[in-house]
Amino acid sequence: MEPIILIPIILPFLLGIAGTKILFKGEKIKTFYVISAVTINLLALIGILNIEGAKAFHLLKINPFLDIYFKIDKLGILFALLASILWIFTTFYSLAYMKHEGKEERFFVFFILTLGITLGIAFSGNLFTLYIFYELLTLATFPLVIHAGTKEALYSGRKYLIYSLGGATVALLGMILLFSISNSLNFVEGGVLGTVNIDNPKLLLTIYMVMFLGFGVKAAIVPFHSWLPAAMVAPTPVSSLLHAVAVVKSGIFVLVRVCYFVFGAETIRQIHGNIYTSVLVFITILLGSLLALHQENLKKRLAYSTISQLGYIVLGIILLNENALIGGLLHLVNHAVIKITLFFCVGAIYFMTHKKNINEIKGIGKQMPVTMTCFSIASISLIGIPPTNGFVSKWYLALGGLTENKIIFPIILLLSAFLTAAYLLPIVVTAFFHGEEKKDIKKLDPPIKMLVPIILLTGITIFLGLFPNVLLHYIKSIVENLV
Amino acid sequence: MTYAKNFPLLMILILFISAFIMPLMKKNIFVKGLSLFTMGISMILSIYTWIFITKNGAYFYRVGHWDAPWGIEFKIGMIEAIMAMLFTMVATLILWYSVYSVEKEVKDNKVSFYYLLVNILLGSLLGMVFSNDLFNCFVFIEVTTLASCGIIVVKDKKENIAATLKYLILSSLGSGLVLMGIAFLYDITGNLNMTYIHKEIMNVHAVYKNTLHIAAGLCTVGIGIKSAMFPLHVWLPDAHSSAPASSSAILSALVLKAPILLLIKILYGVFGFEIIREFAILNLILILGTMGMIMGSVLAIKQKEIKRVIAYSSVAQVGYIFFGIGLGNKLGLTMAIFHIIGHAVTKSALFLAAGAMIEKSGKKKLSELKGIGKEMPYTLGLFTIGALSMVGIPILPGFISKWYLSLASIDAGEFMLIGAILMSSLLNALYYFPIIVNGYFGEENLAGKIYKSNEKSIKELLPLMMLIIGMIAIGAGSNKIMDMIRIGLI
Amino acid sequence: MERLLTNYFETGSMILFGIGFVTLLLHNNLIKKIIGMNIMDTAVFLFFIAKGNIIGKEAPIIKGIHKGIEGYINPLPTALMLTGIVVAVSITAFALALTIKIYEKYGTIELDEITRMRGD
Repeated sequence: MEPIILIPIILPFLLGIAGTKILFKGEKIKTFYVISAVTINLLALIGILNIEGAKAFHLLKINPFLDIYFKIDKLGILFALLASILWIFTTFYSLAYMKHEGKEERFFVFFILTLGITLGIAFSGNLFTLYIFYELLTLATFPLVIHAGTKEALYSGRKYLIYSLGGATVALLGMILLFSISNSLNFVEGGVLGTVNIDNPKLLLTIYMVMFLGFGVKAAIVPFHSWLPAAMVAPTPVSSLLHAVAVVKSGIFVLVRVCYFVFGAETIRQIHGNIYTSVLVFITILLGSLLALHQENLKKRLAYSTISQLGYIVLGIILLNENALIGGLLHLVNHAVIKITLFFCVGAIYFMTHKKNINEIKGIGKQMPVTMTCFSIASISLIGIPPTNGFVSKWYLALGGLTENKIIFPIILLLSAFLTAAYLLPIVVTAFFHGEEKKDIKKLDPPIKMLVPIILLTGITIFLGLFPNVLLHYIKSIVENLV
Repeated sequence: MTYAKNFPLLMILILFISAFIMPLMKKNIFVKGLSLFTMGISMILSIYTWIFITKNGAYFYRVGHWDAPWGIEFKIGMIEAIMAMLFTMVATLILWYSVYSVEKEVKDNKVSFYYLLVNILLGSLLGMVFSNDLFNCFVFIEVTTLASCGIIVVKDKKENIAATLKYLILSSLGSGLVLMGIAFLYDITGNLNMTYIHKEIMNVHAVYKNTLHIAAGLCTVGIGIKSAMFPLHVWLPDAHSSAPASSSAILSALVLKAPILLLIKILYGVFGFEIIREFAILNLILILGTMGMIMGSVLAIKQKEIKRVIAYSSVAQVGYIFFGIGLGNKLGLTMAIFHIIGHAVTKSALFLAAGAMIEKSGKKKLSELKGIGKEMPYTLGLFTIGALSMVGIPILPGFISKWYLSLASIDAGEFMLIGAILMSSLLNALYYFPIIVNGYFGEENLAGKIYKSNEKSIKELLPLMMLIIGMIAIGAGSNKIMDMIRIGLI
Repeated sequence: MERLLTNYFETGSMILFGIGFVTLLLHNNLIKKIIGMNIMDTAVFLFFIAKGNIIGKEAPIIKGIHKGIEGYINPLPTALMLTGIVVAVSITAFALALTIKIYEKYGTIELDEITRMRGD
């Protein structure tokens, strides 16, 4: 029964490869095929989660290190479900959106492939397997990033590739060094190093920093963030996926795995790894917000906002206490939902009006009332105003900071919240209150396939703000064993 | 099964004798058939030998029934058997590929000579692998040099001739140095049989320390020229890039590797682990290997022709092998031999794929090959898989070599060198990915190209596919291969 | 100095080797390069044969009576070098043939000029 857990990972690969033939058969077949592919995969995933016993599987074990090993645990389930659900929304959205971008078939092949790889990351049972999927993710998303095929796209794509591969290589260095110490890269709650005596804290610290920085590239930690704004040349569904789930969240997810499942909170405290990393995280949070203020292009502004918000999540991870980690994981989910909504709205504006700068969208709130309302709600949530989900996660992050007895953390959070307001609210204000009064305003809300995902996602944002308990309990049960 | 002991000699004889029948044949198709047939027979024989070795262990074979110190002796152990299998298999696949395409690069009346040279080349490479006699190895080196010069110059273009002459002169310089090294060893020990030399050296190494140093140095530099160790690689890019596609594949996959194996035999077999570890020569090899890894890749980035890029990449990859040898521990040596295997398969596939692209499109500059992925999607796809191995994507052999070489350098206490390994793999990405990306993507690049308009037929691509499948199998079965190599080393 | 003079075969071969090596590397003219190569090879042959030679003893060819093992020099290096000479000759022949080809195609046998011609 064990190999069954591979289904959600392998199915997208097969479907993607089969798609190279099927997708070209016509509009209806394509729509049906893509929707059914992602839905079936979600159903398969849920089905597998409900089967008792099927929790771990060695696909190929050659030796202690060359071991492709999958394991389902609570953290993995959280990430897998998040990805699969958001993938479905994106599918509907991009079916409509990609019409004007062209080359839809190629897009959907890689789109489905990437889903499989993301789930592979979620269910990897050791660092080596994770590394394989991490590299594959870069390769599979690369064609999505350079979808337009223009010179600019190719340039940004190259930047993305170099940053990602470079980061992975640096992380590989850490893996090699770690493997030579621990002889195991399996994920164990509390870390594999627990049994190994720390007789060389400096070396361990080096390894930790190397891995943190290496994997941090995908999590867009300053100074390795500049691929993310550059990758905004990609079509909107791609950028939303890159930001919300697939790429940057994979980076974060790997960091969680490295911190809590490979090193273990205790070890990191002993080698003082958290102190060095927290400096980087401060810079990331503030610099991301400050840079976002300057961006005229809507997508770029959101990209820098992502950098700063990712800083929050990483902060939650490296504070190494329970509340902070709860906050971090909550924000992982919440930010995904919020950011994907924001991107969808911006994409809808571009799709309908071909406007992508802030000064061009004066008064657009009246033309696209539904879209802009959703945008406003999501913005409010990202700033962290109740009753939205952004508030819940930031609350826990602040609590975590206070537990550490360092007042600087809540201050940073507050400051950054102001900055968030400063870069998001002007968009809302411009959209609704600027511009000339016109009598007969043409309604420009996007087609139903794009609008429904936006509305549903906004609904989730509010729902998670009002009733955070289901998610909160689940995350608490993950965190209990880790800290 | 004792008749199986004759197989190594039989392989060499079959290849040599069949080679000289070829010019007598009237039709090229028979020549090709004979060459492929004999290579196939050698492959089967080498597989038999390997099975024999796994069952019965290593053995010595007396050529012509003369006893060891006087007669020539073959030593057939696990490593030799694996190498013979690798050489014959790769050569068979390359020959299979060349059957369809050789006329495009070689004139009709020279085809029979081409296959003659290939057969002789393979025979002498196998001889170099098996022989336990230093002077015999030297003769095989010279035969290899002449034959490989022949398969480069056979194209009869301006640049081929210049490249070949460069190769020939530097090569004979190298073999002169090797011969000098052998002379020194003979001077001290009075023997040419490696086993006997090793015994003698164990007795006298304290007395003749300097002479041994000189001998080791001369052999290393001489073989370094043959196998393109970094600062001595100058002949390689010209020679490998101007040769016909199948020749380039044979040259970089096999001809570079046999001398390296000989070097391993000399350093670790003739001198022995204990003695060579105290020599400074290992550090020299380590440093040159590291430099080769980095500089080969850096130089490859600057190249404008696809085959030159791949040729410089060979310099970098050979650097890995020397790196493994220079580390001076068992794991490093194992990985050096493993990398010989992995690189032989990968690089031959890359050269054949590049050759197919050049042949079909008639262009060899990188800038002109943009958008080739649309016209030849399968060929570039196979190229991509090979390139991914070079870059070091897990499971493929390139990654495995890098990982274990890193562990080996930790064992040897050289932490800094891991950085060099990883840096080199990043640099690999820098020159392989643009080829692939520009091949498959980009509006401007793809404009005016018709999907699959230029693709080779599946029949012609089959050997290439088998090389790639073999490469993946080597990666997946790396543990077993490494175990076998370890058995051979003891 | 003393040792160099006693082993004058070896000394001479090393000097020859040096001359050949330098000629091979430094000269631009291909013919001179090939000559250098030959000098180098000859030096190695001399060195190798000197290893088997014992002054005052005969070549191992029996004339009249067999003098016993003590009477003759070691024939093995001589025999080996015969092979070496054959190899060297064939390589020289090949190199000369290539040089002729180069002269036909490029019109010169100076290496720097050829490099320049290929550069542009």
